[in-house]
Amino acid sequence: MENKNRQIRILVSKVGLDGHDRGIKVIAYALRDAGMEVIYTDLHQTPDQVALAALQEGVDIVGLSILSGSHLSLCKRVWEKMSEYGCSEIPIVLGGVIPETDIPILEKMGIKKVFLPGTSLQVIVEAIRKLVMTSSKLSVS
Amino acid sequence: MRNDKSKEIERVKKSWEEEILKPALKKLNVEESPNKYYSPLDLKDFNFLEKVGFPGDYPFTSNIYPSIPPGITPRRGGGYIGSGKGLVRAGSYAGYGTPEDTRDYYSRMASLGSKAGPNLAFDLPTQLGYDSDDPRAFGEVGMTGVAIDTLRDFEIIYEAFKGDMEIDKIASNWTINAPAIIIIAMYAALAEKRGIPLNKLRGTPQNDILKEYIARGNYIFPIKNGLRLTRDTFAYCTQNIPKLNIISICGYHMREAGATAEQVLAFVLSNSSEYIKLGLEAGLDIDVLSHHFTWLSFGGSMNFFNEIALSRAARRMWAKIMRERFKAKDKRSCILRSLMWAQSGEICTTRQRPLNNLCRSILGGIASVLSGGAAEGGMGFPFDEPLGLGHSLEGWQLHLDAARIIGHETKINEVMDPLAGSYYVENLTDKIEKGAWEIMERIEKMGGMKIAIENGFPQREIARSAHEFQKDVESGKRKIVGVNCFTDENEIEVLPQRTAGHPYDPEKRVTAEIRQIADLDKVKKERDNETVEGCLKRLEEAAEDDAVNLVLPVKEAVEAYASVGEICSTLRNVFGTYKAPGIF
Repeated sequence: MENKNRQIRILVSKVGLDGHDRGIKVIAYALRDAGMEVIYTDLHQTPDQVALAALQEGVDIVGLSILSGSHLSLCKRVWEKMSEYGCSEIPIVLGGVIPETDIPILEKMGIKKVFLPGTSLQVIVEAIRKLVMTSSKLSVS
Repeated sequence: MRNDKSKEIERVKKSWEEEILKPALKKLNVEESPNKYYSPLDLKDFNFLEKVGFPGDYPFTSNIYPSIPPGITPRRGGGYIGSGKGLVRAGSYAGYGTPEDTRDYYSRMASLGSKAGPNLAFDLPTQLGYDSDDPRAFGEVGMTGVAIDTLRDFEIIYEAFKGDMEIDKIASNWTINAPAIIIIAMYAALAEKRGIPLNKLRGTPQNDILKEYIARGNYIFPIKNGLRLTRDTFAYCTQNIPKLNIISICGYHMREAGATAEQVLAFVLSNSSEYIKLGLEAGLDIDVLSHHFTWLSFGGSMNFFNEIALSRAARRMWAKIMRERFKAKDKRSCILRSLMWAQSGEICTTRQRPLNNLCRSILGGIASVLSGGAAEGGMGFPFDEPLGLGHSLEGWQLHLDAARIIGHETKINEVMDPLAGSYYVENLTDKIEKGAWEIMERIEKMGGMKIAIENGFPQREIARSAHEFQKDVESGKRKIVGVNCFTDENEIEVLPQRTAGHPYDPEKRVTAEIRQIADLDKVKKERDNETVEGCLKRLEEAAEDDAVNLVLPVKEAVEAYASVGEICSTLRNVFGTYKAPGIF
């Protein structure tokens, strides 16, 4: 039985060509302060690189940040790649400049939660904890 | 101030604290006063000529110019550049979709009365040196700006600039950095094709690669190679396109990324020193170099007086650096040539109750005028900035009218630097200057900005400041209206009626990638591919020798319709790519 209190491993990544990393850095620090193990990738990750990293690092959850407007195309690709690599059960969360009208579309692409500008760090940390707890990866075999 | 006067004021201050302030605080039931008060005691050794002087004269604290026409706004058509009669500044930052889409946008703006040249926003694939058909460009073509693959794309955009808006009559702005050498080469090639002499061209490429490594993230090559390309553009442009500005050094992005006022001031001036050194090492004259340097802005915040003090400190510090460190002889070389001073900062806008961003902008506009700028320069973008890409025409209307009201209805801009001599503002200016010098000294001890960036120093400082800022927001120590306070269900969301239609056609944006890829394919089929291959080979050889100026080899490739991706690929083969240091 998996230890539900073990440290959460999260991959935090900027996918696509967007270089705005203030939000993702602040979140990375907050997640680390909350006791999670944060794997922080370089900028300009392709969807393929994100999916591979998620698989190889054996993470519990993936966090993406996109402020360039390309979230629909890129999230779809990430999800397709993760399915291809057999790790589509890993939940994905997304932050950035996302029009609210796109949220239902993103939810159909494996994005479990979208954090809009102004969301508090506390809310994000709690939401990530909850998602990891309820995700199939930690379910008792 | 004379010692006896100072002693007298100190005596009165002490008795004021005991007899007036303390009882008042007791009534308010607080230990410490929520307000500060400044007096001559805070400016004891104030030397006016040394610290402030007169506008347009060393040390330029009050203003870089001795006089400014009223109501001038830096971005809108209708603002005149000082030395060019009738020459109109580049317009507001815009661009999307394919070159045709952007050309049509600018044509539409011209039909609505704009006389401004293009202020081009490029898409991320272009900024990062990828063609629109590159797998890495997927989903991103034409999104954050216009897609540029070959010279053909430049030619198409500039179809909107002919006749009385020909390129020798307007100024262009290009927000391009890592591949700036390509865009500059394209503009020169375009001019030659149109028979316009290069010495008539005006404009500003942003060309500030150091801030990309520090905060903006649109880098390609390792730092030393990025700087080599910058050096090459400096040398070529000062010699061949003498009226072109060669750089727009930015604090804006570092501030938005989280830098404090002192940090952004230190980082900008350190970057600027690095660029001056670069130009001097290339054999350029200090006065020629500096007359072609411009600065974008230092970003902003809602800390009203801080921003004004920052602007004054910045002008004074750069003047000192140019005169004392770089021994500039011409007084005009000591000018921090910027049109944007105090601002409210995009980072301070909120997605919640977005119309409030107009109020924030207005405060920035007022601070801007008080700090020596024009109203619009301090106002950032229209209120809908946090809602997505592009701004509505309604947003622009409100934005411009606010700038016009500040510029024409108030009398704020009739006096230059009205806060000069204020006990508080002079004290604050000194304080920010001191804080910035301390950071700059640390950078100097590391060996300069290039090494500091390689070590991750400014990046980590900025991330740390951003983290502190966010913690303050979460704790409520830093209040943001509509975000962490005044958010209960009785507050009302107010939005304007949309009647004008978005200036960017959303349908065009959706199909931009497919159209651009098809057009690029056509160019690649119709050009002489053998010539292109030859040009790229010569470019590769030239790139291997650090002493060779790459502008002409790039220009040659560009004229043969080699693509941005092909040119950058060639350079990547020689230079490699940048690897960022970690954040922890």
